[in-house]
Amino acid sequence: MADPAVMISKAEILKMLAELMKDATVFAPASNGKKLDYMPVRNVEDIVFGDDIPYKSPKEIFFPRTEKIITFKDGDAEAEISTEKYVLFGARPCDLEALDIMRKVFTEGRFKDPFFEERYNNTLIIGVGCVDKKPGCFCDERETDMGYSDKCDLFLGAQGAEDYFQALHLSEKGRETLGRYIDGLRTFQNTGHEFKPAHTLSIDATEEELFDKIDWESLVETCQGCGMCTYICPTCHCFGFKDVDEGGCASRYRNWDSCMFPKFTLHASGHNPREERHERYRQRFAHKYLYVKKNFGAVACTGCGRCVRACPAGVNIKAIAEKIGEDLQ
Amino acid sequence: MIYEEMTNNIRSVCEKLLNSNDVEVIVAYRGGGVEGMQIPYFAKTPEDVQNIEWGDRCYQNIAPYVHGLSKKVGILAKPCDARILTQYITEQQIKRDDVYIIGVDCVGMVDENGDPRPGCPDCMVRKPPIYDEYIKDDRVDSLDLSPPASEDGGLEANFERFRKEIDKCIMCYACRQACYGCYCKTCFIDRDLPDWQPAEIDAGTKMTFHMGRTMHLAGRCVECGACEASCESGVNVRYIIKEVTKFIEDEYGYSAGMDPEQVPALLVNKFDDREVGFLGGETHG
Ligand code: SF4
Ligand code: SF4
Ligand code: SF4
Ligand code: SF4
Ligand code: SF4
Repeated sequence: MADPAVMISKAEILKMLAELMKDATVFAPASNGKKLDYMPVRNVEDIVFGDDIPYKSPKEIFFPRTEKIITFKDGDAEAEISTEKYVLFGARPCDLEALDIMRKVFTEGRFKDPFFEERYNNTLIIGVGCVDKKPGCFCDERETDMGYSDKCDLFLGAQGAEDYFQALHLSEKGRETLGRYIDGLRTFQNTGHEFKPAHTLSIDATEEELFDKIDWESLVETCQGCGMCTYICPTCHCFGFKDVDEGGCASRYRNWDSCMFPKFTLHASGHNPREERHERYRQRFAHKYLYVKKNFGAVACTGCGRCVRACPAGVNIKAIAEKIGEDLQ
Repeated sequence: MIYEEMTNNIRSVCEKLLNSNDVEVIVAYRGGGVEGMQIPYFAKTPEDVQNIEWGDRCYQNIAPYVHGLSKKVGILAKPCDARILTQYITEQQIKRDDVYIIGVDCVGMVDENGDPRPGCPDCMVRKPPIYDEYIKDDRVDSLDLSPPASEDGGLEANFERFRKEIDKCIMCYACRQACYGCYCKTCFIDRDLPDWQPAEIDAGTKMTFHMGRTMHLAGRCVECGACEASCESGVNVRYIIKEVTKFIEDEYGYSAGMDPEQVPALLVNKFDDREVGFLGGETHG
């Protein structure tokens, strides 16, 4: 990795972002008035540097909370595929690894999702390393290196002396951006970065075992069914459609959905295969730790800790994974 | 120190209670496993009691857990939780005899970052209005009462603030799920006939949800702040609800969750009601 490493200063990064803002929407950590979030920023001064992690993931840049995807008019259907250019700045390793899982789900499965894919291809992704784990983070136990991820175009290591960052370009797009906006790149000898996780949290079991051997009811008895955990999670990707009549044409909207909601699997007959909250949580857990792994080769939990911090009921997916591991012994 | 002592008192009450078999479960708190968190906990055996903790991070409302429980339960109730239980009793959701209430004084909670928990800085009730057993915290006697929350701003200013607030809302319904009062089997927003939720999650959709919820909580909000505290997006949903609460207090002299004998304002039918809250009724003031 000796080749693509350079040092750039914070001032240079800001200058580069200001230039990029001229023809792209730049999303970066900024305050929403109360919380740190990945926000569209128009002014580089609004970007918050530092080690805090935004309360929700950047997934909605690629997969918005609500989006019109198709308009039906005069017997024709027209897809509304975004061509906007985006820059995502400051994504953390856990979010980058998660985004790659989203990419696999949306583009490598049996169906390709052009809405996600186009946005993904039109986005320059700049990652930033974390300095410390935050309360609730367990990235190291979920194979995520808080200091580095290559699932981006440019990666900035932790802020070093005199506001300098080690920058690694990991794609043509990233290399070209650096070359265009930063004069006189100072290269340095990148000795690489070592990541040795002490222990990896994973579930080695079949679906049947998870269903039959685990007492889900007592495991998540305090869950209030709010769904917050799925909305802020960087890998949750469920959605629903809604068609509406909009002035002479029909529009199809796609909105986020959540397996924690009672209507998620409600059948037209009135039957609901996941009537109870603990059955819904079982789905959330099994989807992350079993099904995505089976279908796409990676566990869909990067240990970002968001659901742990956000859950009003204290439901802790790490503690649950550990308990399940014990119970299956 | 004081919390340690209170925790010990609480544990011994709980132990006795579980040993006596008067209750099957006690709803309380325990350490959260994550720095700065104390989380809801169901203690079921006398041994479980050692896990119970009381401190300044017990900010989640746990009274809603008794709604719909068919067992006999014990519950550790700080003042807002006790107001919730009172409200459940007046709304005939639980029977007084089915809950054993361990009331506990509260000087206010802080969140995992040490900031005051929403609702606490403007709390008017520091002692539980009902209880079977009472755990005292001497500090509450010397606390100044906060000014009523709704005195800041007035309806129009607060509505304007609220309109800005919901920009941040992602419509996840965590506020509804955390609220004791949102116990409908199916929330209006989840109904298909009529379809309250348009396709696009825009400002209008958010307003429909929040205004609907506000109206359903008229005179029922106990100002516990759980909605705001559970909102991970940092939306202050109470800007508007507190205005409605003030209106009900002014017009009907009713404060939710203070007296199990009092009939909630929304359940009273009076022929001489001026119907100030309705179109065509006498205007306010
Ligand atoms: S399940 Fe929780 S910890 Fe895992 S990626 Fe999602 S939000 Fe992060
Ligand atoms: S099924 Fe649940 S856990 Fe899986 S992506 Fe959907 S909302 Fe997330
Ligand atoms: S696990 Fe927590 S955040 Fe998720 S739905 Fe249940 S209460 Fe809400
Ligand atoms: S106000 Fe907050 S908790 Fe309520 S729906 Fe909006 S984002 Fe969710
Ligand atoms: S509306 Fe909010 S403050 Fe009022 S009772 Fe419900 S959760 Fe508590």
